[in-house]
Amino acid sequence: MTPEHAAVVLPVAGPPRDAVLPAPVECILDNGLRVVAFAQRNLPLIAAQLIVRCGGAAEREDEAGLSALVAALLTQGTTQRGATDLAAAVDALGARLDAGSGYDASVVSVTATTPAFPHAFALLDEVVRRPAFAPREVERVRAKSISDLALTYANPSAVARLVANRVAYGAAPYGHPLAGTATTLAALGRDRVAWFHERFYRPDDAVLVIGGDIEPDDAFALVERELGGWRAEATGMPERPTATPPSPRAQIVVVDKPDAGRTALVTGRVTIERRSPDYHAGVVATAVLSGYSGRLNQEIRVKRGLSYGAGAALAARRLSGLFSTSTLIDHARAVEATEVTLDTLRSLVDAPPSDEDLVKRKATVTGSFFRAIETIDGIAGALSDHGVYDVPLDDLETFARRIEAVDAADVRRFAAREIVPDEFVVLVGDASRFAAELARTHDVRVIPSAALDLSSPTLD
Amino acid sequence: MTVLPTISASAIHVAPVSFVDRTLANGLRAILVPDRRVPSVAINVAYRVGGKDDPPGRSGFAHLFEHLMFKGTSRTAPETIDRLTEDVGGYNNAFTSEDITNYYEVVPSNHLERLLWAEADRLASLTVNEANFVTEREVVIGEYDQRILAEPYGMLDELVNREAFRVHPYRRGVIGSPEELNAAALADVVAFHATYYRPDNAILVVAGDLDPDETLRWVERYFGAIATPSTPIPRVTVVEPPQTEERLYTHHGPNVPLPAAEEAYHIPASSHPDAAPLDVLETLLGAGRSSRLYQSLIYDKQLATSAWASADLREQPGLFGVRVTCARGVALGDARAAIAADLDRVRSEPPSDAELARVQTQIASALVRSRQTASGIALALVHATTERGDPGLMNSDLDRYLAVTGDDVVRVAKTYLRAENRTTIEYLPQ
Repeated sequence: MTPEHAAVVLPVAGPPRDAVLPAPVECILDNGLRVVAFAQRNLPLIAAQLIVRCGGAAEREDEAGLSALVAALLTQGTTQRGATDLAAAVDALGARLDAGSGYDASVVSVTATTPAFPHAFALLDEVVRRPAFAPREVERVRAKSISDLALTYANPSAVARLVANRVAYGAAPYGHPLAGTATTLAALGRDRVAWFHERFYRPDDAVLVIGGDIEPDDAFALVERELGGWRAEATGMPERPTATPPSPRAQIVVVDKPDAGRTALVTGRVTIERRSPDYHAGVVATAVLSGYSGRLNQEIRVKRGLSYGAGAALAARRLSGLFSTSTLIDHARAVEATEVTLDTLRSLVDAPPSDEDLVKRKATVTGSFFRAIETIDGIAGALSDHGVYDVPLDDLETFARRIEAVDAADVRRFAAREIVPDEFVVLVGDASRFAAELARTHDVRVIPSAALDLSSPTLD
Repeated sequence: MTVLPTISASAIHVAPVSFVDRTLANGLRAILVPDRRVPSVAINVAYRVGGKDDPPGRSGFAHLFEHLMFKGTSRTAPETIDRLTEDVGGYNNAFTSEDITNYYEVVPSNHLERLLWAEADRLASLTVNEANFVTEREVVIGEYDQRILAEPYGMLDELVNREAFRVHPYRRGVIGSPEELNAAALADVVAFHATYYRPDNAILVVAGDLDPDETLRWVERYFGAIATPSTPIPRVTVVEPPQTEERLYTHHGPNVPLPAAEEAYHIPASSHPDAAPLDVLETLLGAGRSSRLYQSLIYDKQLATSAWASADLREQPGLFGVRVTCARGVALGDARAAIAADLDRVRSEPPSDAELARVQTQIASALVRSRQTASGIALALVHATTERGDPGLMNSDLDRYLAVTGDDVVRVAKTYLRAENRTTIEYLPQ
């Protein structure tokens, strides 16, 4: 057989090799802090994430942005060193020390090389337990957050996501913008920042994930040494927010932004919580729609050239999550893109994937899962679901198997119940090019960009 | 307060990446990195052709061509690469830079042979029809609309290249213009493939769960039979003449929320000895919250919402950029004056030993982080090979940065960060 001949036929794949998953180990310190450790010793690198189980969902409507402000201020000075000295200390260790907040949790993370890690971890302890919240820093970070909002509001895709949260959740948790608005940020000061920190940053409502080039026993000892003396406030555990979102309603909300370069299109629907037994079916249904070869990108980009890309996401939440799709299109083709998106969602019910297709779409889910846990930050991130949503610790080990177990009937059932009925549509762009045409067949509400108020559950 | 140490960069152990480097008889260079920790492999095929090599009147063509490489061959249907990757839990993509077009895949390792087959196949026999060509051109123009027109500040990179370079083709950027993309025809595609997509213009890097001997046999089997044309590969030989006076260009765009600017200075190529001190200067000025620009513009004076530096080192002489986005209510002139003060300082006094040690530790730590994935290692090898001619240079990078002195930093700042070598783009609301 000549080499020329050999190259004609696509070779077959050999037998697969099994992935070796890290085995996390958990212990609980006397102060109630749960610690999850794993070893991954191929590079001299260690990572830790402290998950505080309260975030934006714990904020009041008129204090939107408070949890984000608290997180941003943690790294802006402690009672031991000011912001500049802290920044110099972190960089001198070659470490990364970051803090941020989501709706369900606030996370402080640190990554450093093995020789630097114990020092970097001591800095994590310092910023979590002894932040200074100096008035000058509060003022500075608040002013920068307000400046940053101008950049967000110039981006039609970002505005569409914020509007979608409001349309989905209204005044319930997850409706207000995590970064706040100019109005809510203006009302926040040091007192409220310190209050939030004192109330919600506590060891008995936090989980620490640590791993990399360190054995679990050594990791537990290091955590005990730094965080073992952290004591909870005498007040009881904070109550979890429970308000339920409004019932889904088919509606189109248009934000008229004539200076936008393209129109952002987001559709969505409130759906299951992360702990739901249907979560894995939801992930697979989303994968049938999303990714380069997913149905949305095939219909919108590959077949029609309407956009550079289109996808779907299932946002995991402690309470009701959000299924959404998003794309960015020419203003003149916004109506077509809206109809194609809605038809494609419906196709999950009318034409569920064949078994053969489903094997492939499930492979995209498990493949990206295994790639994500190639880095220690990725493993820590995957384990953080255990901390934030109370999924079992063995979720890492069982995830791929549970994805494999989803069948076409599960996908169809999930779509019929959680994706298709009463989905909303948000468009942010030049409304003069599409709003009137959409209004002929849909319930359309147009909000001028200048009148949009994200502080309000009703958007104006 | 606990006094924290500086961890010396030399205390950070970065194990050298060991690889097999083989050039086939037809000129294809194959670099293999066995790392059997996880059962997947990263495959990169880099062609030494990028935006600077676009044919005259066809700016954006190398990038458009990249899209067409996914549209099938005489043996395979369009989107075959997607089927071979996504459907088995892998992924693929490609990017076009000024200098190279890089195609890459990550797949479970038992699929490596199939991907080598498919990469060799599209190198040997690309087939594009008129319908595919027209649809994909629409997608690329959609990408232009999305990234350049719709993004706030989307035109800034294009303007920097256009104004800083007068004669070198780097002035055209990579994405090109919709007019010139629309002028392209199917015949251009055939000619471009014949000119640049040949074994002696390609570098194959495979990293991850592989057996080097077995992989070399596959590489020989699938790539070895592809003929190399006898014609030489055209290369850009145009040299940008030294800039002799400062340039200022003011752009007023729609949807510009806050004034912004980039100052760009001509610097030498990636292979030049000044490249390492320029990378150190980039980190000193712009990386991390302890960096000079962060401390002065964002923290102390609160003039900016972002400020950073970038040593954009390329195969041919590139640019050192300093970019700022103003804080709300701040005039661009005030932010630029603060940058000027910081640049004066780097030209006039060396960083302290402690500051230099900190910067070197930051660089060493970032290097360790970039080694976590097979795809990160593969890409580093692609860059070392295409820009500096030797994949082994990635193993001496840390030593190169550790050898940089404070005086080196002052010297490169004085040499390149001069007003007459500067092009400034001011980006303002309409």
